Amino acid sequence: MEFFPVPGETMGESVIEVRGLIKDYDKLRAVNGIDLDVKAGEVYSILGPNGAGKTTSVEIMECLRIKTAGEVRILGHDIDKDQREIRKRIGVLPQAFNAFDYLTVRENIDYFGALFDKRLGAEELIEAVQLQDKRDTWFMNLSGGLKQRVGVAISMVNDPELIFLDEPTTGLDPKARREVWEVIRKLKSQNKTVILTTHYMEEAEVLSDRVAIMNDGVFIAMGTPREIIDRHGSGSTCVVKAANEAAREAVRAAGMDGEVKDGDLWVRLENKGSLAKLVNLLASPHASYDELLVKGSTLEDVFLKLTGRKLAEVEQ
Amino acid sequence: MKLRHILVDLKGQSKAFFRIKSNIFWTLAFPLFLILVFGAIFSNMGSGTVTLNVQDLDGGPGAQAFLQSLNDTGAIEIRFIDPQADLEQHIKDNSLAFVMVLPSNFSEAFLPNSTATAHVDLRLDETVSSASIVRNIVGAVVNNYNLGMSGGREYLVMDVGSIVQKRFTFLDFFVPGVIGLTVMTTCVFGMQGTISRFRAAGIFRKLATTPMTPFEWLLARMLWFLFISMVTLAVVMGFGMLVFGMNMTLNPAALLIVVSASAMFSALGMIIARFVKNEETASAAANAITFPMMFLSGTFFQLETMPAYLQQVASVLPLTYVSQGLRDAMVYDNLDGAYWNLAVVAVIAVVFVIVAVLVTKWEEE
Repeated sequence: MEFFPVPGETMGESVIEVRGLIKDYDKLRAVNGIDLDVKAGEVYSILGPNGAGKTTSVEIMECLRIKTAGEVRILGHDIDKDQREIRKRIGVLPQAFNAFDYLTVRENIDYFGALFDKRLGAEELIEAVQLQDKRDTWFMNLSGGLKQRVGVAISMVNDPELIFLDEPTTGLDPKARREVWEVIRKLKSQNKTVILTTHYMEEAEVLSDRVAIMNDGVFIAMGTPREIIDRHGSGSTCVVKAANEAAREAVRAAGMDGEVKDGDLWVRLENKGSLAKLVNLLASPHASYDELLVKGSTLEDVFLKLTGRKLAEVEQ
Repeated sequence: MKLRHILVDLKGQSKAFFRIKSNIFWTLAFPLFLILVFGAIFSNMGSGTVTLNVQDLDGGPGAQAFLQSLNDTGAIEIRFIDPQADLEQHIKDNSLAFVMVLPSNFSEAFLPNSTATAHVDLRLDETVSSASIVRNIVGAVVNNYNLGMSGGREYLVMDVGSIVQKRFTFLDFFVPGVIGLTVMTTCVFGMQGTISRFRAAGIFRKLATTPMTPFEWLLARMLWFLFISMVTLAVVMGFGMLVFGMNMTLNPAALLIVVSASAMFSALGMIIARFVKNEETASAAANAITFPMMFLSGTFFQLETMPAYLQQVASVLPLTYVSQGLRDAMVYDNLDGAYWNLAVVAVIAVVFVIVAVLVTKWEEE
């Protein structure tokens, strides 16, 4: 990832500009003043647990919900004034979307396509999401991953410049999830701007140019996954598998930051020399261990550090 | 409003609708099933014969001639009781309602120069509604015999004519009601089910991001259910005419009543689904609204046979006017009545449709 240029500096003009967006439900403030700038051609993920306010935020940008306060410009148009124009140029896959159960893949794409003045051909879209052999299958008879691919195809019927995919992989098994990732990568290769919401850390890390981590209605970190990890992550960790008491004692005596988890010793590597120092300590005659593993920080670690909670825990 | 958007939805719906087997059942098979079952149950009520149980203690030619005369009336079916049987016990054991005993001197009374009087012993369970029919028929035959035996002249002769031109059967009453009932169930449940399902599937959220407006969608769906209602009308009417040889006419009044009823019930389904967000609760609400109408709107039973307070309930149920109007228009040839009922239905339809249009929108909050 670090070999890619920072997209914000090299890519085109802003397609999304959000300033101080607030959304109140009856007694709950779902979105509490967020700012967002998305450039043309980016895949931008909004990562956060359920209830963080991700869907509310994107549904406001999709003209599906009415904001309480703040400014939102989509493709240069004010969301309060030019909804009709915005709708023509964006593509949306709503959360938990299911197309018409008793229509085939092809018929579903045709249905939504025919509603737009400008549209792409159904066959072209079927090819784009690799559903050629399911063209004439009823939507209800498709697996979860294929259904989401139909959803992505439908979100592309009007050849949009900007595509919103709201939790496209929630509830899918890992294989189906990877198939959806392929389709998203393809969108990026066609130079589409994609807004992706997800509560899978790995997904945001693998797919996006930039990420905003959302919790309780606010963004708690933004940037490329690398930037976020560098800024908020706790560096690398060396896992000493099955470290014995002597090994643990040696590390403790040397003043290194270690923690025992399931019989393994997790040692935080504070600087360049830390790893060499650790290896030396473990070379002492009484120390024993099975293997050494060096792990980088992940967005998951960042979320844990910033909120004191694990993404996965919040989910349940 | 764009016609294309409406046509797109109609095209999609026409493909999907008949792929759902339960739709075919509810719109086509269910009304025909109702007609067959209820037609069979109720059709025999008016024209059926009454069974009279006879213990013939005489067994002679006079008794046989008398019983033959009763049989010739066509209204009475005679079943014999063994002359040896204990009559009281037999009545109890078989829960008989009508019993006649011919005495052992029955034939003797007919002999020339006989002064004997035969007593025909007729025992009736007066709580059974056809008791008076039995009494009148047996009485008439007895009088006829007395007249014939005494050689008397007929001073009075009764000629019986009919004051109604057509004789209406139960099916004449029932079949137009089945059309009204089916239009109600398909439109209310169809609309409520569609909206509840589409909301859960995120289809409305998706449609909200297309150029189609909620009004266009609503109009397309109402047109679709109008089409289905017309199919129901044609199928039920065709079935009644071809299978039961019914005499039904299709006129503008009948068509307009089906149009109004379809719009009214589609809008009702929409309003239910709009205010009851949970899919299962919405379906229960639709049931709670249609069920009383099914039984209290005079589809299965004549309103006149119901208690007065239920008749008052019926008078505020829209289906009452739909069924009555269709009956007036298609069977009774009473166009004044048909148009009056049409007016009632049309006014309710307009109100319901306006409410449905006002409450239907894509965005939530």
